[in-house]
Amino acid sequence: MSPSELPAGDEPSSDFLNDYFAECDEHLMGVRRLLLRLEQSIGRGDINTSVLDELFRHFHSLKGISGMVELRPAEELSHRAEDYLRALRRHDVRLSPEGVNALFDATQLFEQVVNARRSGGVIPAIDAAVATIAGLVSARPADLAAPVPGAPAGAPLTPHWRFLFAPSRELVGRGIRVDLIRTRLTALGEIIHAAPHVTDSGMIAFEFIVATGADAETIAALQQDGVTAERLPDASVVSDPAAAVDPEWPAVGEPSPVAGSVAPSHVVRVDLTRLDDLMRNVGDLVISRARLGETLARIESHVPAGEWRAVQENALVIDRQLRTLREAIMRVRLVPIGEIFRRMPFVVRDLARETGKRVRLQLQGQSTEIDKFLIERMMDPVLHLVRNAVSHGIETADERVAAGKRPEATITLSASTAGEIVTLEVADDGRGIDVEAVRSRAAGAGLDPATAGDAAGLLELLCAPGFSTRDESDRASGRGVGMAVVKSTVEELGGVLRMETAAGAGTRFIVELPVTLAITDALIAKVGAETFAAPQAAVREVIAVPLSAIRALEQNEITPYRGGVLPLVRLSRLFGLADAARDTLHVLVVGTGGSALGLAVDRVVGQREIVVRAATDPLVKVAGISGATDLGDGRVVLIIDPAALARQMRGRPAGVVDGIAGGGGR
Amino acid sequence: MTDGQQAADRFILFTVAGTTYAVHSHDVHHMEMIEEVTRVPNAPPFVDGVVFSRGHVIPVVNLRARFGFERVPHTLRTRLVVVQAAAGRIVGLIADEAREFVVLPAHAIQPPHDTLAGLSGRYLQGIASVGDRMILVLNLERVLDFGAIAAAGEPPVADAASA
Repeated sequence: MSPSELPAGDEPSSDFLNDYFAECDEHLMGVRRLLLRLEQSIGRGDINTSVLDELFRHFHSLKGISGMVELRPAEELSHRAEDYLRALRRHDVRLSPEGVNALFDATQLFEQVVNARRSGGVIPAIDAAVATIAGLVSARPADLAAPVPGAPAGAPLTPHWRFLFAPSRELVGRGIRVDLIRTRLTALGEIIHAAPHVTDSGMIAFEFIVATGADAETIAALQQDGVTAERLPDASVVSDPAAAVDPEWPAVGEPSPVAGSVAPSHVVRVDLTRLDDLMRNVGDLVISRARLGETLARIESHVPAGEWRAVQENALVIDRQLRTLREAIMRVRLVPIGEIFRRMPFVVRDLARETGKRVRLQLQGQSTEIDKFLIERMMDPVLHLVRNAVSHGIETADERVAAGKRPEATITLSASTAGEIVTLEVADDGRGIDVEAVRSRAAGAGLDPATAGDAAGLLELLCAPGFSTRDESDRASGRGVGMAVVKSTVEELGGVLRMETAAGAGTRFIVELPVTLAITDALIAKVGAETFAAPQAAVREVIAVPLSAIRALEQNEITPYRGGVLPLVRLSRLFGLADAARDTLHVLVVGTGGSALGLAVDRVVGQREIVVRAATDPLVKVAGISGATDLGDGRVVLIIDPAALARQMRGRPAGVVDGIAGGGGR
Repeated sequence: MTDGQQAADRFILFTVAGTTYAVHSHDVHHMEMIEEVTRVPNAPPFVDGVVFSRGHVIPVVNLRARFGFERVPHTLRTRLVVVQAAAGRIVGLIADEAREFVVLPAHAIQPPHDTLAGLSGRYLQGIASVGDRMILVLNLERVLDFGAIAAAGEPPVADAASA
């Protein structure tokens, strides 16, 4: 959210680079999915050629775009991977586990190279990986050696065109930049080669060699946008001989058949910060509208009834339009949660290989949509939960058989929405959490083992900083973010982390998150002179409780509620404010069943849409306050986090009544 | 954070309880009149609360409270000096008044004396003398760091005795 990242000013085109990174991610995702499938073909006579073709296409694209940003190690790695795939396709080499592993390793290394480029870090050496693949490829019979570089491998099936795009201020003003041109060319056919050039006049231009069957008219149309095109003679092909189209690879020249996806030319990539700006603007509009409403209410009595009705109607129309605008922007921000899920099979496979376990990963609800920001923030936590499930949750095949289970464990990753809440679950059918082991570990780590009385307490221990249930030698946990971070991330995002576990039957982690952040419906409550907002989604109901119905029970207060009792917390006492001078309090009921809790306020004064602003500075990041909002008068109103307050109260040692520790709990 | 030691730099001056303090001008985002501050329950004692400043929710640090003086009611001269600190933090500092800036040559800024290691000494980057005026150059990191205070669980005044 914070615009703390400075644009990389010294790059030739930072937008262009960002686009490159995004595109790499997409291709890598595809590569990993396909490598998993390829792996299943090991030892079988027949390799699924469509998998090979698709893999080749991904590496081919990776090579092309890497060349364009002049990231040579990445280009080289994808080039080598291509070599091996080509050899496989020609049956020059047999598919071996070493080969698949080499591709996996090269893919991982490729990602590291790209990440190093992205973060400005040191680009890892690729020599070993290159040598490994080269060794695999050269193991083939000598008479089938690689095509001699420079020698045309044969006439390409599709004509080749050389496009030159020179960006200009005028073009940029019309929104035409190199990434757009590249997207268009990709839609025409296959980009064989791409590289930036410095023209004679000292300007930067981009050269693309594209294999396309597009007609002259389509190509001519590009010229309006600063692109010059020239058809290459069929035989000479390309300036990059390694990228020459292989006659045995007929599929290369065709657009890649990605089933069910939107045509690439209709997709616009938008920087998330731009959407944030847009959202903030809408937020400002909502606030201005509220201000206008207040002004209007003041002048109502001075306006003739007929005129007033017209004003009122217009105000309502604006309300509706605002809501539509807001929803439209939110929809833009929503992306399928499959983005998180897609890399998990790869992670599980890798980890299963390391730990020697047998795992089947089930994915459910990939199309569930969730805010892009949440996706980015939840990627690592979900990764950690999945890794935990493999390394701690499930047993080895032998242990499972001994316990009368199927040797292959199942990990289920699922997502679903209910109203404004998205639920993410990571479940395994493993051994369940060993409560005794957790207790003794907790005692060793200086934590209170008695906390592990129920699943919630157990989870609290697991998420305590410094707690880890396995030896430090366990590779997987060392790479993860830790349960403590999982929990704090979920809570920062306004969500809840829960856990269910049963000995011998498995463990289930449940993450509940709000679908969107930014704007939400809230109850407005008064406590003394202060005003607070409480997100409506967290409040089950509001009840009026006369003081006479409140009983003190040791250090706590309770009130009868639905045939049972409801523990009460007075916000005034929690926040060090004066108690209300009234004989009835309003109580916000949060949580359900045994964890239900009543937050007592002086009164609830209304319900409205609020714009959530983050209050992230450590000086004001206190437990139970999730952010701030503006009700239209320019004053900050704090948003309370009822769920966090409830947690805080449950976790509170008996006897502490006044205030939650501001410094300790964060 | 600041490189006040290297050349002549511009500093914004403000006063708190009769003493003139300086912060490097490139650390100052802007200044504004102070409007209603919303109290934040259980925040550190020297934090008056939060305000909106250009669309952001920022904490308001009361420099009087931070330096161990009595709070005073805001006047027309009271200013919120909005500073930009490390890690992208934006924080408002309440000063009694803030009206000038000066250019201080690097050699004019001396490190704080050991004998000044009391309360405000901990928040200083240096001391500058301009004519007959003494200007205390603030170390924003320390002013805005409440880790030490929170850990000690004591108000800043008591804390100072041990420093």
